[in-house]
Formats: sequence, C-alpha cells, structure tokens
Amino acid sequence: MKGYEMDQRQEWVVEAEDVCYTYEGNETPALNHFSLRIARGSRVAVMGGNGSGKSTFFLCLNGIRRPDRGRILIDGKPVSYTRKGLLDVRRKTGIVFQDPDDQLFSASVYEDMSFGVLNLGMDEAQARRAVEHTAEEIGLTALLDRPVHALSGGQKKLAAIADILVMGPEIMILDEPAASLDQMHTDLVRKVIAELSDKGITILTATHDMDYAYEWADMIVVMKDGEIMRKGTPKEVCTDRRLLEQAHLKPPVVLEMYEILKQKGVISGAEEPPGSMAELMERI
Amino acid sequence: MISIDQLAYRSGLRKVSAVEKTAYALMTLVICVAGRSLEAALMAFAANGFLVIRKGKVSLLRYGKMLLMPLVFLILGTGAVIVNISEIPLDAFAIRLGGWYLTGSRAGIWKGLELGTVAMSAVSSMYFLAVSTPVTDVLGVLRKIRVPSLFLELMLLIYRFIFVLLGTAEGIMTAQKCRMGNRDLRTGIRSFGMMGSALFIRSVKRAGALYDSMEARCYDGEIRVLSRERPVRKKEVLMIGAWEILLVFVTLWSIMR
Repeated sequence: MKGYEMDQRQEWVVEAEDVCYTYEGNETPALNHFSLRIARGSRVAVMGGNGSGKSTFFLCLNGIRRPDRGRILIDGKPVSYTRKGLLDVRRKTGIVFQDPDDQLFSASVYEDMSFGVLNLGMDEAQARRAVEHTAEEIGLTALLDRPVHALSGGQKKLAAIADILVMGPEIMILDEPAASLDQMHTDLVRKVIAELSDKGITILTATHDMDYAYEWADMIVVMKDGEIMRKGTPKEVCTDRRLLEQAHLKPPVVLEMYEILKQKGVISGAEEPPGSMAELMERI
Repeated sequence: MISIDQLAYRSGLRKVSAVEKTAYALMTLVICVAGRSLEAALMAFAANGFLVIRKGKVSLLRYGKMLLMPLVFLILGTGAVIVNISEIPLDAFAIRLGGWYLTGSRAGIWKGLELGTVAMSAVSSMYFLAVSTPVTDVLGVLRKIRVPSLFLELMLLIYRFIFVLLGTAEGIMTAQKCRMGNRDLRTGIRSFGMMGSALFIRSVKRAGALYDSMEARCYDGEIRVLSRERPVRKKEVLMIGAWEILLVFVTLWSIMR
C-alpha cells in the first residue's frame, strides 16, 4: 500500500521532531515546533503562503539549515552535522530550488549535472555515464551541450531537476516546481515528477496549485507561520472548508464541481468525494 | 558579446575537439605576430575566413561586420605609421600644409600595410576561436592544461552570472523606462545609480542562494565539473600541423627575401 497512512511497521523516510528554526536577525521563527513524518515512497504536497516556512523546512531536511531545537531523522537516523554525516544526508535528499538560476551555476547543462555526482565521489567514467543516462531518462539529451543561459525557463527547470536526479536521491524535494512555467513545461515537469514517484522516490513538493495537489498528492501539509495547520489526505484537507479559508487556500475545482452537482441532484452525495476530475466525470 | 556566444554554440565546428581549435588559433596567431610576414598573414586571414564562413556556417555579412570593428582601430593605428608630418617631403606622397608636409615613404606604407594585415589575421584567428568554441569548451581546454582551479572556478562563475546579471539589469532598466526613468539626463543618471545598487543587493542575495544550492549538492570548496569530451581526430591534427608548418615556411621565405 502506498500513502502516508500505513500500519505500525511503517517505515518513515523523513521525520521532523519538534523542529524550531529562526533566521539570524529575525524575531519570528521560520519553523515553530514543527513535527512531521513522511512514509517512504509517498507524494507530499506542502502548501501555505509565502513565508510560511516551506523552504526553511526543505533546507533543514538537506542539512543546509540546522534546527535550533528538535531534530530531523532521515531513514530513521538523526542527521549528523559532521562532514560525513552531511554528505550522507545530501546524497539521500536532493533539493530542486525554486529559481533554477540559483542552482545552475555551470556554463553548460552537462557540466552542471556532473558537479553533484563528482562531489559524491564517482570517478569520471561513472559520472559521465550517470549524466548521460539521466539526461536520456528525462529527455534532456539534446540540451546537454547548451549553455545554461540559452535555455528557456522550462528547460532550465528540467535541467535543475536533472541536476539532482543524477545524484540518485531517495527523497526529492521540489520547491514550487511549476513556478513561472508555461503550461507545456508545467505538464512536462509534472510528468517527470510522476515518473520519479513511480520509481519509488519519495517526493515533497511545495505548490500553490490546489487542483494539482488534490489529484497528485497522497498527503497534503498545510503550513502557516512555521507551524503545521493541518496534514492529511487530500480529501481530508480539502473538505475542511474552515481550514482552507484560514489558510487562504481555494478548494480544488473538482470538489466545487462535486458540491454543485450534488446540490443540483445530478449525483448522489452518499459516496466519497471524487479524487480526480476523471473520477467525477465517470460518476455523472 | 551574447551574439558571439550564440554563434559559438551553433557553430558547424562545435563538435571538433576544442583542443585542436585552440591549438590552431593560438599557433596561427603566434606565427603571424612573431613572423610579421604579409604573405603568411594573408594566407592565415583567408584560411580563417574559410573556416569561419564555410565550416563554421557564420554568414559572410555577420563575419564582415565583426571584422569591421577592429578595422576601424587598425586604420587609425596604421594611419599613424604611414603618415608623417615633416619639413622634408618623403618619396610616396606629400601634401603641403603651410611650411610643413603631410607625407609618407614607400617603406612606411609597406610597413603600415604589413602591420595592418598581420593584426587583422591575428584578430581573425581569435575570432575563429570565439565563434567556433564556446567558453565552456575553452574552460575544458584550460582545465586540461592544468590552469589553477581557482582561475577556472572564477571564470566559470563570472561567465555564467554575466548573463544572469545582464538579464536582471535589463529587467530593471525596462521597468525604469516604463515609469519614465530616463526622461532627461538627470533622472537617467539617478535611475542608473539605483539600478546599480539594486543589482548589487540582488547579486549578494543570489550568491547566498547559490551557495545553499551548491551545498545541497555536497559542495566541498572545490568546483569539479566535467566538460564534454570531443575526440581529437588524427586527420585534423595532421592538417593543422601541415598548415602551421606551411605558414612558418612562408614566413621564413618572406623574411629572407
């Protein structure tokens, strides 16, 4: 069974226990007694306004930010902030940053992708194979020799994903992967994310797109002011009207349609709400 | 600058080993400049033109325009070599200006022509490299000949972020223009200064973000990247070698003559 609700033998791939983090010079904490457990292979959508602590949480998972209080466990082991410990954590968790220009520092895509794998200690031949294999996998081969600045926004995003993917992470964190992408590239990026998820990689993504989160995720975490307002399955979270209002989130269109159709008596309200547009269409 | 960069990665010679191209360009440059031979320089200039236009698929118009830029400097520079101001007229030409002559000697004209041609051929060698080999590939060559990594890292980051910075600056300037930030010189200067400080602040922020993202990929203080390897082809190496030897011979011949 996939999903975050599993039995006691469940293996947690990420555990945050009572994590607090305050940026230097700030008074309000970016993360405030934040606790969350994520099951291996799950798809987690982290939602919340700007400055709600999503990015800080992500940076903590990778050991870039060290919690002032509490601890992070990856694969059941607390993150150790030694050189070796950090290397281990960063091998397992990869972050795709929101702005690809913050991430792609090399002149060409090929070079940029080789950076991470070389840091993992691969030799040159292995690294080359890994880069070419990953590029093939997500359809980036034709762009490998392009200078980064000659790529479109969507291509940069794919390159940024490839950058991390090539390192073979178990957990992939994507900070607003569809931010400022056109529809075509949004779809492309989402397709890649879905494929990664199918391979068993645990995926955490920050998103503002409720429709996407509702259909794609198996857990939605709603954050506000560094705290978790609510976490649960998309259906649990999205049917909680009061919560959505407080979090300034809009319910997904599927659910709104469902409500209207229910009121009009087109479909019966006896069953559970539909999980996707396709499911709703079927019921009509 | 951006357009040259684009020409380089679209070049028909992109797939030729960067080591070969760099070696060819540098050897030709050195032979032309050191030998100062008009004939060798003309040959090199023609060969570079052939390589850039026929092999590299750069349009004649574009290449011509590129060559015009240094040509202006050269004409001014060689003009000073050819034209003298003197009380005695020289053998080639003399224009009387009051008690003085604007004049030049035959030897001086030859010297000027030679200098101009040599300089143009040297420039064309560098242009050949610039429009056929992207900076990334040049960096690969430098890495191969073991240039200290600090230099390479700086070059890499500067090259990459020039474009990011330019993009940001362009965005800010457009935004300023939209609000009439350039209506007169005063506001123009003010806007430019404001753009400068905004760019600086953004650069600092970006540097922080970049550092985070590099850390996230296990950065340990040294940037190690692989550039794409293009095999060095024997045939091309032989051709380059033969060509350079020919140039050397032509140079020697013209010196001894």
